[in-house]
Amino acid sequence: MSAIQEVETVQRALRAIRGQERWLLGLLFTAGWFLLPSMGLAAEGTAAGPTEYRDIPYIGSRNLVWIVAQLHLLLAGFVLGVPIFAWLCEVIAWRGGEKRYDKLAKEFTKLLTSAYATTALFGGILLFLLVAFYPKLMNYLTDVFFPSFLLYCLLFLLETATLYLYWYGWDAMQYGRKKTLHVFLGFLLNFFALFIMIVPNAWATFQSSPVVIADGTAFERAWAATWNPTWWPINIHRLIANVVLGGYICGAYAGVRYLSVKSTEDREHYDWMGYVGNFIGVFGLLALPFAGYWLMREIYQYNQQMGITLMGGFLSWLFIIQAMLIGVLFLGSNYYFWLGITYRIPGSEAKYRRAMLMMLISLLLCLAVWMTPHSLVASIEEAQKMGGAHHPLLGVLGVMSAKMTVSNLMILITFMSFVMYWRAGKQDTAGWAKLGKAVMGAVLVVASLAVIVLGVWGYFVPAIVRINYFSTSQVAIVGFVILTITPLTALLLKSAKTTTEMVWGSMPPRAGYALVLNAVMVILLMTLMGYARSSSRVHWHVYGVMRDTSPYAYSPALGSASLIMAFCTFFFCILVAFIFWVATMGDKYKAAAGSGGKGELPHGIPAMAGGAPEERQ
Amino acid sequence: MSEVAQLQLIALSIVGVGILILLFIKAVFIRVTGFVFIVLGLFSLMSLAVPQLASLPPAEEKIDIASIKTPTDIATIGQTVFFSKGQCALCHSIGPSESARCPDLKGIGAKLSKDFLYESLTDPQAFVYQDYRHGGVPKEYPATMPAINKDPIGLSKNEILAVIAFLQQMSGEPISVSVSELEIPGKAPSAPVKSAEAALVADAHTN
Repeated sequence: MSAIQEVETVQRALRAIRGQERWLLGLLFTAGWFLLPSMGLAAEGTAAGPTEYRDIPYIGSRNLVWIVAQLHLLLAGFVLGVPIFAWLCEVIAWRGGEKRYDKLAKEFTKLLTSAYATTALFGGILLFLLVAFYPKLMNYLTDVFFPSFLLYCLLFLLETATLYLYWYGWDAMQYGRKKTLHVFLGFLLNFFALFIMIVPNAWATFQSSPVVIADGTAFERAWAATWNPTWWPINIHRLIANVVLGGYICGAYAGVRYLSVKSTEDREHYDWMGYVGNFIGVFGLLALPFAGYWLMREIYQYNQQMGITLMGGFLSWLFIIQAMLIGVLFLGSNYYFWLGITYRIPGSEAKYRRAMLMMLISLLLCLAVWMTPHSLVASIEEAQKMGGAHHPLLGVLGVMSAKMTVSNLMILITFMSFVMYWRAGKQDTAGWAKLGKAVMGAVLVVASLAVIVLGVWGYFVPAIVRINYFSTSQVAIVGFVILTITPLTALLLKSAKTTTEMVWGSMPPRAGYALVLNAVMVILLMTLMGYARSSSRVHWHVYGVMRDTSPYAYSPALGSASLIMAFCTFFFCILVAFIFWVATMGDKYKAAAGSGGKGELPHGIPAMAGGAPEERQ
Repeated sequence: MSEVAQLQLIALSIVGVGILILLFIKAVFIRVTGFVFIVLGLFSLMSLAVPQLASLPPAEEKIDIASIKTPTDIATIGQTVFFSKGQCALCHSIGPSESARCPDLKGIGAKLSKDFLYESLTDPQAFVYQDYRHGGVPKEYPATMPAINKDPIGLSKNEILAVIAFLQQMSGEPISVSVSELEIPGKAPSAPVKSAEAALVADAHTN
């Protein structure tokens, strides 16, 4: 290109932008603003020798990775939890013949495509950030886990293909053997999802509980690192937690929609959806403390110092906050059941009011014990009066023996709330009903007493006896109660007469807020325990193996960390709301077009419940 | 204003915004957002109300040859290496432990010679015993001992000698590692510790 041509080109460009100067100036200013951090990045990268860390101004590399990693984890929990939830609903519809469960499963599967893309997007961002900010650590982890990276890619391909088949084949595979194939596809979807979860779990748990890796092939090294002591406890804990998250988010969505819809049919539908979400959330919640206990036990077995850092060290107060969140979650879930008894089953309130009050008092007492700190923050004078940091009375309640006891009792109470809800509005007709109820009552009373006795006895035995035998026995007793009373109640209700029909859509607005509260509590718990797990490694990237030598090698205090957790929770809620909005946008449009363009949904066709033409037939 | 007070102010503001939304806004989604604001703000206030403890990294230990005067100094450094860079305590216990995945090292310094220990650390597969403890059922250990002078642990010769000194001291034995054996940076390395010959190893094990 000659000089004259160049000048003409520039002149043409200048003519083209005439009148747009302000806009362009703004664009340049914005670009300059966004490029500011890159100056910081570049400065970090000029250091002599291989770069170990890079940073970003203002927010800091650690905080940015923290937020993105937490959001990715929450989204991943949602994306892995929803298919379990959806598949369970599909199986219920398939075996039981209730089509509304199939519709519900389809509604939630619809979310998966957009949620899956968002999760992958955050995963990609996280990977880029990790490679950019922590090259040395990533180099080390790649060296150890290279084969599992390839496996992870393969799993992603399989999961994506299965998801497409599962979602796009829903209507085509509705009946007969095709439906069986579709249910099998749902199983495959969850099967691959399980492996998509446990493969990266190995990378994260290796950082917390590394094992020594001897020489060997790349596969042998990766396998040795994968099979680390906290891998399976985390796998199980996360699997259950994902079900809980999926259930409660379904409940929260239903809660928000319930608050906003006007028609009776919509209210009935979202009321029912909220019930199903809450039920699945509670179903998982009952098992979650056991999985958490196993994880903590493995941590103590792996490295006592790490266990002490968590439970007795600088993170000990975190567990008081955790107790508060779990307590509110239990209260919220029970409250929702009680509201259901009161408003959905007219006439039951009077029958169960006393029991509900007793349960509320018991839950609050249990929560108070669970939240009692082992050591109190006291002035020197106060400590002298108490004879130490432990309060003479409260100090007794702040130990694990008491906390394990009340957590088991809270699980029992929540289970009984569910049973109460299940039985409300029905009259037993079986000849053995009296005996059955007596057996159930006896099992419950004896089990509760046994849990309390073991809890008190736990004070007088060595810790190892309490941990290995007493605590596990308490868990086994609660499990026994659930496994005994559930089938007995089911048998009783099989022949029972319905005295009061369930009235859907009659819940007060506070039920919707209770569902939202439960979902927020679960998300906060996940962010809190993410901080706990990361902080338990203290100043190590890989515990005891690779030290964190960056300026961010410290773990922040709980207060400042809580604001980041709150931000992550809020941002995740907004992301989920966006995903729901995107997923239902097309249906709303179709529904509006179908009803004469007034923008109103036809009665009985909630936005997510079958806006598509084929679903309405 | 302290940092905690500033954060409390932020959390209070979040709660305040949530309350204002609930009081004055009628749109359901915004009201739910306000409700979430209140919950998150209260959570942060609660977290700020408990003692604020941060975990700061300890200062990094570096071996300063000039400061080492006696074998006891070497053993002190060895103790630090044992529990940190050496990662020995990841698998080994000192004293009986059911949860330990590798042999108990209590008394090992008295049982094995310096040369044998050095070889066990740098060429662990040279002689393998299922269970070096006397009596009891031989125990299968799931982890394989890595060469400690290679990556990823990569201890220097000085660090390995320091660990051996610590093991000897821990076993109540006189420390046979001398200051003169340590390599001084910048100087030509001293003669390497000889690998134990088979006979010596057998002696060390049986004695």
